[in-house]
Amino acid sequence: MLVGGVDVGSTQTKAVVMDGQRRILGRSLIDTGGIVTAAAENAFRQACDDAHVQRSEVAYVVGTGYGRYKVTFGDTQVTEISCHARGGQYLFPGTRTVLDIGGQDTKAIKIGAEGQVLDFCMNDKCAAGTGRFLGAAAMALDIPLGELGPMALVAKNPVKITTTCTVFAETEIINWLARGKKVEDVLMGVHQAIATRSISLLRRVGVENELTFTGGVTRNTAMVRILEEMLETHLNVSEEAHYMGAIGASLFALEKALTGAAGAVEAMTVGERLDSTRAASGDCEVCPELPDRKFRDAQERLSKPPVLIQVGRMREDAER
Amino acid sequence: MTQEAELVGRGRRDGNHLFKEWYAELDAAAEAGDPSAYVFVMGSAAEILKAFDLNLVFPEINSLQMAVRKVSLEYLNKAEDYGYSTDVCGYVKADVGMHLGGGRHPNGRIPKPSIVVATNMCNTYVKWVEIWQRMYGCKVFVLDIPGQRGIGWSSAPGSEQFENDRRYVQSQLEELIELCEKVTGRPFRLERLQENLVHVNEMAAAWSAVLKLNQNTPAPFNAMADGLTYMGVLSAYRGTATGARYMKDLREEMEHKVKLGMGTIAEERFRLHGVGPACYSYFRRFLELFQDWGAVYVNSEYLAYAGGGLEAGIQFDVERPLESLAEQLLITGRRSMSNMFFSQDQLAGAVSDWKADGIVYHSVKSCRTVSTGMADSREYLTRVKGVPSLFVESDLVDPRLWSEAQFKNRIDAFFEALAARKASAAVAARG
Amino acid sequence: MAAAVAAPAGFDEILGRCSELAEDVTYPSVRRWREEHADGHAVGHFQVYFPEELVHAAGMLPVTLMGAGSRLEAKLADSHIGSFICSICRTSLELGFSGRVGFLDAFYTTPICDVARNLAGIWGRNFNGMTSEILYLPQSATARHAVPYLRDEYARVLAELERIRGKPVEESELRASIRVYNENRRLLRELYRFKRETPWLLSTTEAYVLAKAGTVMPREQHNEILRAAIAEIPGRSGRRQDRVRVVFEGGFCEQPPLDMLQLIEEACYIVDDDLLIGMRWIVDDVAETGDPLHALAESYLEHSTYSCVQHDDRKPKEEMLVRRLEESGAQAVILAAAKMCEPGLDEQVAYQKVLEQKKIPFLLLDFEEKMTAFERMRMEVETFVESILFD
Repeated sequence: MLVGGVDVGSTQTKAVVMDGQRRILGRSLIDTGGIVTAAAENAFRQACDDAHVQRSEVAYVVGTGYGRYKVTFGDTQVTEISCHARGGQYLFPGTRTVLDIGGQDTKAIKIGAEGQVLDFCMNDKCAAGTGRFLGAAAMALDIPLGELGPMALVAKNPVKITTTCTVFAETEIINWLARGKKVEDVLMGVHQAIATRSISLLRRVGVENELTFTGGVTRNTAMVRILEEMLETHLNVSEEAHYMGAIGASLFALEKALTGAAGAVEAMTVGERLDSTRAASGDCEVCPELPDRKFRDAQERLSKPPVLIQVGRMREDAER
Repeated sequence: MTQEAELVGRGRRDGNHLFKEWYAELDAAAEAGDPSAYVFVMGSAAEILKAFDLNLVFPEINSLQMAVRKVSLEYLNKAEDYGYSTDVCGYVKADVGMHLGGGRHPNGRIPKPSIVVATNMCNTYVKWVEIWQRMYGCKVFVLDIPGQRGIGWSSAPGSEQFENDRRYVQSQLEELIELCEKVTGRPFRLERLQENLVHVNEMAAAWSAVLKLNQNTPAPFNAMADGLTYMGVLSAYRGTATGARYMKDLREEMEHKVKLGMGTIAEERFRLHGVGPACYSYFRRFLELFQDWGAVYVNSEYLAYAGGGLEAGIQFDVERPLESLAEQLLITGRRSMSNMFFSQDQLAGAVSDWKADGIVYHSVKSCRTVSTGMADSREYLTRVKGVPSLFVESDLVDPRLWSEAQFKNRIDAFFEALAARKASAAVAARG
Repeated sequence: MAAAVAAPAGFDEILGRCSELAEDVTYPSVRRWREEHADGHAVGHFQVYFPEELVHAAGMLPVTLMGAGSRLEAKLADSHIGSFICSICRTSLELGFSGRVGFLDAFYTTPICDVARNLAGIWGRNFNGMTSEILYLPQSATARHAVPYLRDEYARVLAELERIRGKPVEESELRASIRVYNENRRLLRELYRFKRETPWLLSTTEAYVLAKAGTVMPREQHNEILRAAIAEIPGRSGRRQDRVRVVFEGGFCEQPPLDMLQLIEEACYIVDDDLLIGMRWIVDDVAETGDPLHALAESYLEHSTYSCVQHDDRKPKEEMLVRRLEESGAQAVILAAAKMCEPGLDEQVAYQKVLEQKKIPFLLLDFEEKMTAFERMRMEVETFVESILFD
């Protein structure tokens, strides 16, 4: 049993191939570029190559991210919020809160023990609390993105960045430098501003340990440290942070493949699902390969055109 | 027996028809220069004003209509060019833009105000009426209704506190009547007021029953979608025989639908309680994003306070018309304001009574009256009552503040979680 | 009774003590008062006007909550209040959530706007141990029954204060408090006379800081401070300069940063303004005889100045602004409005139109209490002044 998850973001597309035991067999990360459908295709193909499997062997694919509807070969779409919740819990089973600082939005997600979404809060209106703010700072200061963190860490007197707009923040940064402030102090101010906004989102859903930090900004060691200081708690950070959405998507794909049903997402854990499958079919042990019969059935169902989430229409419209 | 084909959808059809008629009358009034009153959905004092045969103009509905007809932006721009900040309420700006353009509205001409009545239920009303006062030199009457003072505070009718407040309200109503006589040159006739009160009694009783019918599964109407039409009639035809007839017919239609188990969509999968108005600039899309998930708004706070406070089925005592009017204005006004400022316990109750799966909070930049307390109310309901909720943001009439991708993302995530919750509950029930 | 500020020597020392209080969000003077009055109670109220005499008469300390400027970020409050809200409401809530005003036994707000009314709900849901209510000041100021209604509303608040302190408040106590506050208002009028007639001897920033100190200490102590300061003013050295005389009008529920006041004063003399208008709302003495609650209610409605947060047909705000300009001998107006402030921003347009019509020069400024960068504003003010001087 093989499944796939494709996370199409505004700047990068990630894909993951997973087996029936929830093991990640292959992954890929590429720039999204201008043609989103192509990015989704390419990312998926490269993940399959990385896993040394054929595309046709992958039973079910879930698309996520803002471009999830462009994963045309996908079987269904799930929001990145739900996927990050699953992905976070997969990487760190004790996770109860996920903070995702992405390139253009930031999410705080409260999750349950099975990785189900209990509540979420997003900043998707303003780039000031997102990775984009760091990008703007990097451009304004002409410093590579990767060096922002280490530089900020040596700050002794961080400045207060008050502008709420990324665009005007560039002006503010330049102003501070013109007034003789040190680069590291300005950079630390930028980091603190992002951290403060993220924490504000976290407070809306309530911070509960363990807190897992994800998204591209996790590579920034300064951000991790600042958040830990401000929240007075440890942050789980994984090497696989970039793939969290795709991992979550593939976990959803796995559930779908096992039930063979299209339609609304069901939250049963893989274990429960297998239990019910076992009970229904009379199989005894959970084994890596589902009995041929079940796999064929699933394949048949999946060979039909992908069905989007059920669409309801006003009764009167239908009558018209 | 009425044919089903005529009965189902009658509320919408008749409502749309009444709406058109009302705007046609306003256009005629503008032509003839008839005395007209500008009023608001929260506290129109229609019972008194209609006793003087004043045409009622609802600027809030005018602004809403501009948005629904996709032309609000040009009016907003006019007002902003004139000097109004982007932070000012969009309803106010759309309206100002219209006046600056000579009172031309997509639905027809709007008559100038001879008299304006604003309650304090929304503080922005008071700033708004001052604008017309400067533009037209019209008479402005602020009807002040002292609201609930704090959480856990109440004053029952008959208590000293209630009487203090009622005396104040009643005294203002008497002054309003004197002002109407001056403005219209027509004498006040108590029988006319009493007639209007009787009609409102009928409307309120029927409307209250209609709302309760949505406690059924499937719900016979969508509080956000159909509710808008009903709200329009509640406001524009308040105190009239037509309004009373409409509400009774509506009740009949909904009872019929409930008997047949008729809902609003093919499969009602989720039931929602709305807090806050819709985005009128993208009204259809707003509704579809929820309908696509099989979700129906079974109830909404907005329907309550923007419907003029008739939802709990008030009943005027026609034998003591002015006193009863003051009492009921105090009770309904207070309840409407409390729905916005001190909503937490009443909301939890409504969610339970209408068997809603969750609450959708739609915060709108324009309206700080309803939006300020949403985040905290939501936090309280999540923490203390465990009610699932979704928080989305845009605006009433400013299309620049709507982002479908963001809306869809949040809505999809919410329903994914709700579906998961339902499935888990089903598994737990089985096991 | 120990004084919050010991009898100081010169004007500068008085000013220094008051400046510290003006900027300190830990409320040291209030904490000191609580320490000295173990059985005492402190009652916080929001902007713009509050009948503090009621609180004072009950032997309690009235404290005005007016945000925290740039000294506090609304970190905790942020998740409890909507997005498009003025900073003063956010930071005032933050004062609550951060525990800085734990000394309060009650919190009152008024219907100046819808955000302010919502504060009662948010405060009440989150701070269970205290009274949190709206004082429903009339929005129908000219209603026949407005004064009796307001008198009853004051009685209601007084009853709650009596319940908190466990003892009724006598009419004599109320009258004594009225006398103290009448004196305070007289002293504030005196301060403003200096600003108007000899602005080179008393700047608006200085007057502001001196006045603001009164919001965090017993009013009789504030009277001592004001008397001492006023005595010193004529003896101050200051050279009259040829500066443009302006009226500074902005609603000022949300407070302008001191830096903003100072930069305006570098270019102009602010000869009148509506800063801390709540303290100066009542323009002459409240009657010190008869029913004190009635006297307070009547003064609030009949003997008061104007604000964008009050509707009163007898005081059309555009006309009142022009009158303010004429009575203070000002040449121009600086119109400020806080970001997100509905009443302030709405009124700003009306003011603008009347000034245009009367060909009175004016400057429009948007501000936030939490601003820290002022270069652009300085440029705007200087350009404005130059356009008047070198017409």
